[in-house]
Amino acid sequence: MTLVRVAPPLLQDVDLARTYDAVIVGSGAAGGMAAHVLTSRGMDVLLLEAGKKLDIERELRSMEWPYEHPRRGDFPPGSHALSFNEYTIRQPPYAKKTAFKHVYSYVGGWSGSDYVKNILVDEKDHPYTGTRYAWVRARALGGKTNIWGRLALRLSDYDFKAKSHDGYGEDWPIAYADLAPYYDKVDLYLGISGVAENLPHLPDSRFQRPTKLNTAEVRLRQSLAKTGRVLTPYRAGVTTDGLKHNKYRSKCFGRGACNRRPGGCDIHAAFDSPTGLIYPAMDTGHLTLRTNSIAHEVVVDRNTGRARGVAFLDSVTHRSYEAKAKVVILAASTLESARLLLLSRSPQHPNGLANSSGHVGHNFCEHVMGPGVTGLVRELVGKPHTLDDGRPGGFYIPRFRNLKERQPGFIRGYGFEGSSGHEMFPPGAFGTPGFGAGFKKTVRDHAGAFIGMGAFGEVLPRYESHVDLDPATKDAWGIPVLRFHYQFGDNERKMAEDMVVTAREMLEEAGVEVVGVDREILTEGWSIHELGTARMGADPKTSVLNQFQQSHDIRNLFVVDGSSHVNASCQNPTWTIMALAWRSCDYLADEFGKGNL
Amino acid sequence: MKKKDLSRRELIEATAAILAAPLLKVGVVGARVPAGAPARVLTQAESALLDELTELLIPTDEHSPGARAAGVAAYIEARLAESLEPEWRARWRSGLQAVDALSHELSGKPFLEATPDQRVAVLTRMAAGESAPKTEAERFFIELKQWTVRGYYTSDIGIHADQEYKGNVYQPGEYAGFDAK
Repeated sequence: MTLVRVAPPLLQDVDLARTYDAVIVGSGAAGGMAAHVLTSRGMDVLLLEAGKKLDIERELRSMEWPYEHPRRGDFPPGSHALSFNEYTIRQPPYAKKTAFKHVYSYVGGWSGSDYVKNILVDEKDHPYTGTRYAWVRARALGGKTNIWGRLALRLSDYDFKAKSHDGYGEDWPIAYADLAPYYDKVDLYLGISGVAENLPHLPDSRFQRPTKLNTAEVRLRQSLAKTGRVLTPYRAGVTTDGLKHNKYRSKCFGRGACNRRPGGCDIHAAFDSPTGLIYPAMDTGHLTLRTNSIAHEVVVDRNTGRARGVAFLDSVTHRSYEAKAKVVILAASTLESARLLLLSRSPQHPNGLANSSGHVGHNFCEHVMGPGVTGLVRELVGKPHTLDDGRPGGFYIPRFRNLKERQPGFIRGYGFEGSSGHEMFPPGAFGTPGFGAGFKKTVRDHAGAFIGMGAFGEVLPRYESHVDLDPATKDAWGIPVLRFHYQFGDNERKMAEDMVVTAREMLEEAGVEVVGVDREILTEGWSIHELGTARMGADPKTSVLNQFQQSHDIRNLFVVDGSSHVNASCQNPTWTIMALAWRSCDYLADEFGKGNL
Repeated sequence: MKKKDLSRRELIEATAAILAAPLLKVGVVGARVPAGAPARVLTQAESALLDELTELLIPTDEHSPGARAAGVAAYIEARLAESLEPEWRARWRSGLQAVDALSHELSGKPFLEATPDQRVAVLTRMAAGESAPKTEAERFFIELKQWTVRGYYTSDIGIHADQEYKGNVYQPGEYAGFDAK
């Protein structure tokens, strides 16, 4: 067997004189899925991406050893990644008045900063204002899927019908049964690894073979089982058995150092939108791609009231263009799609487009994170070194709060992501005191004996949690920027306190010595799971989109990204974003075929 | 000057040697230490002191070579040399001076002229404040150790000889990939 790298398909010429069947704004998980579904249904699609088309293997250089890089993966001098401290003591725009040439979000501070400098946006060009928010943006073909964490989870009716369960917020206009067939399609088309656990609150996927749990993880799984809690191998949006229908992706072979880069996988075993969705869509002959295209307005035909296309700027030349299409699909990310709707204001739509409800930008929600725990398994100290980071992730502990019982302090729940074992850079090295031969041996002996986990909890959607357009501040292209009005509330703080307690208890119960506890909540935005801002619903007065992510106000306008979510649940959203987009685009193609759009 | 040039050339050669037998081709490496960096940031004596300190922090033992063999001091110096923050460079020079001052205080000699036991005594004193540093020497110990740890465990020797890391290589028999047939 030989590794065969398949070059991306050739680009089709963009014809802006033409009216495409559909124009999609954004090429991440949502936009890529829309492109896949619509082109497979024979529609001619133009895909606009604000960022560059990158040669991602060259960007990520996944197999470059740290010592092959002059700064061991760090940025060159003059570039800077924002720290938790900066997010905490300062207000946005964070890059204002800085001496650095380039400023990136905190993701740039993970190991391998230099490999993401062309994927993450430069905060200097992309300011925002208002309350503190660690907003991570990737402008490149594929968006954040180039660097995502790969945990691929389903939502359940505990999420879709959360209001019916606890009385807070709104139910989704769909139930799990509506989405289950589309979760299946996403599983089979993109590949997902995991173990079936038959949990009502975390439905199983159509799994390929799972990654293995190691000694410490198995011990924790067995200990948790006594209390009815579950520890399951990381459900990863990674193909472990291969995908015969996709020539651009290879199956995972457990190479290692999966967590060294911010998520990048140069063999594309981990899902990313370009190789998973966009290149195959280009191969249908129905997809035209234009990168460097910054959409700033959905153009509406004044006579018909229908969306006519998308006005955009070329990011390099700053020239204006309009892409015309019969259907407009926004997939620019939760916050950018909301921004685009708000930017598309006009005398007919003074509050922004598709916003007769006044809910665009509101009900903004995400996941709260920060609390976590590190444990040491004494029996593993001094054992021979094994390859443990050849997995896309270690384990996941699904939500256990507020399912059957009711917590007194808070509603909803949280899950834990964690892992154990050796990594390329020895865990514990920075925290080991002392120096000399003793220090060196301690680091070596303990490197594989740690187990750590951190929680992701549901942040409640609240009408007052919102973004709007800043009246004064503009980005490098002269486009008004978002202003945040968003802070965690009491429910999140109470939940975070509980995370600390349960994390510690679970390790102690398993006979693992707790050596580190993180109590601090990280800055709003840190989870990179922003959701809401254009929620679905049956009632046009209190929602922006219907159950097919179609604007209540404008029939040929769809918003297929995370902005449509009614609540955040505590499960990572990418798989749900793609299942919803698939379902909506199936409906869209049906309606288009019938001439209803 | 010569010491500095040697350090930098060693750094390049070390990288080039790794490139000679790579599993995957990476780009040109020779040009990677920026040309605009100052020719010299530490004196010969300071470089030698830094080198000795890193080796004392992570020494060669029966299991694997230490920080000196891994070129940690040269790596730190290269980063200092290209930094755009003069105050950071100044802090390192000042920290190195604080080490010598502490050595004078404890043994009456500069660090590199002290006996091995006396050197360890100086470092032990510096490390005493690791959890709550108070003096300049104690604060310098924190930064010195962070960079030494980072430099060592991201080095060829740190990853392969010390940690015996098994990943980041294609695994024949396991990896199928997309089969062109």
